[in-house]
Amino acid sequence: MNRLQKYIYRRFKKKETEIHDLNYLFWECTSRCNLSCLHCGSDCVRDASIPDMPLGDFLKAIDTIPIPTGNFTVVLTGGEPLLRNDLEQCGREIRKRGMRWSMVTNGYLYTAEKQNTLLNAGLGALTISLDGMEESHNWLRNAKQSFTKVDKAIDLAASTPRLNFDVVTCVNQHNFTELDAIYNYLTDKKVKAWRLFTIVPIGRAKNNPELFLSACQFKELMEFIADKRNEKEMDVKFSCEGYVGNYETKVREGAFFCRAGINIGSVFIDGSISACPNIDRSFAQGNIYTDNFNEVWQTRFQPFRNRNWTRTGKCEKCTEYKNCGGSGMHLWHGEKKNVLVCHTEKLKQV
Amino acid sequence: MKHTFYRKIIQGLSLTSVMFVFQACYGTPQDFGNDINLAGVVTSSATGKPVKGIKISIENSHQYQLTDSIGRFAMYVPKMESYNIKFEDIDSINNGSFRSKDTTLTTVNNSIYLNIALESR
Repeated sequence: MNRLQKYIYRRFKKKETEIHDLNYLFWECTSRCNLSCLHCGSDCVRDASIPDMPLGDFLKAIDTIPIPTGNFTVVLTGGEPLLRNDLEQCGREIRKRGMRWSMVTNGYLYTAEKQNTLLNAGLGALTISLDGMEESHNWLRNAKQSFTKVDKAIDLAASTPRLNFDVVTCVNQHNFTELDAIYNYLTDKKVKAWRLFTIVPIGRAKNNPELFLSACQFKELMEFIADKRNEKEMDVKFSCEGYVGNYETKVREGAFFCRAGINIGSVFIDGSISACPNIDRSFAQGNIYTDNFNEVWQTRFQPFRNRNWTRTGKCEKCTEYKNCGGSGMHLWHGEKKNVLVCHTEKLKQV
Repeated sequence: MKHTFYRKIIQGLSLTSVMFVFQACYGTPQDFGNDINLAGVVTSSATGKPVKGIKISIENSHQYQLTDSIGRFAMYVPKMESYNIKFEDIDSINNGSFRSKDTTLTTVNNSIYLNIALESR
């Protein structure tokens, strides 16, 4: 992006923040999971014995939203959503309200029969996690049959044109050398989109060095993604986990914009209202059991919409701050005195 | 939308529509797919009573559904120009025995409701 484009983009982000249309809502519908991965995007420190949120409670919350915007998508997440036995009913009720719905799954329970009933219930988008070829995937997922199951799930999801479907991979020391192999595996399966993450040192991942990339590896990852994007065989991209300086727009379609609390909201298993599930739970802005969801969305969320508080620690005097804006909200944990990972800094180390 | 004009201006300034399409880091892609709700009820032409267990499927699609205990079905299917819909009795003599029926629809809205009467075998 040239300077003018960067300027326009900053204005655009500012305007979007003022408007703060909610059109992407996570629902942490269960905290139960059938796997025990070495890393979990949902922070995964909650007690899996907590009962699933009753559908009626969630519906009461979203019924406060006056007119959902055109592509309002409710993203069912967990835990593992497929463990809920009323998933189809959940989907149908969401569709009745003029919203669309999608799901993030580990694929373990995703069968042809399940796909059929979910499509019938209006499922429109799906993300399946694949964390490497067989050995690496099973290692991170901590389950021997995990790859066999996810392999079938990917075949199924890729077979239906109705689903806007992608595969996500958490890049770590075990699968870093397999990126080309995974790419070939996915293109052979006609998967159209592949999103790559790195792992942030939070939750159960914090003390496992095998999960994190060195600065050099991170740069190689950016190069890999940029190269594959040029090939145009599959939509390969870096997730929106952080600002990556000169690699912006080379590794994703748009430049970095953390929309947490701006367009993205969430309802967590305990009723907390916040943004993405991997964001520190202390950022919760209310609770559906005590507050009106829409009122909370419209009138609170100040820490998400005015991020001047992130001008601290290494962000305080950073020259990239005006384009980065403190990077992703999920990178601010605990005392929030410093960003957990600075991708731009990492790239400059090489 | 109240902010459509503003967004079109921004889009016109050479930045792409990508700015309006996003996905959260641990979320799914958004769903922009076109689909319709295909629903209805299946009855017996002889008795007028609802028929359970009839399979409804669409040509060139893997999706199917069985009618429930009061003959109802409801499924979201990709939007197409026309649909060849098949109604089949697949449970032998359970719930009666009926001839299959094919229906072709050429003009569709965002939802279709069908009353289908099946003849006995």
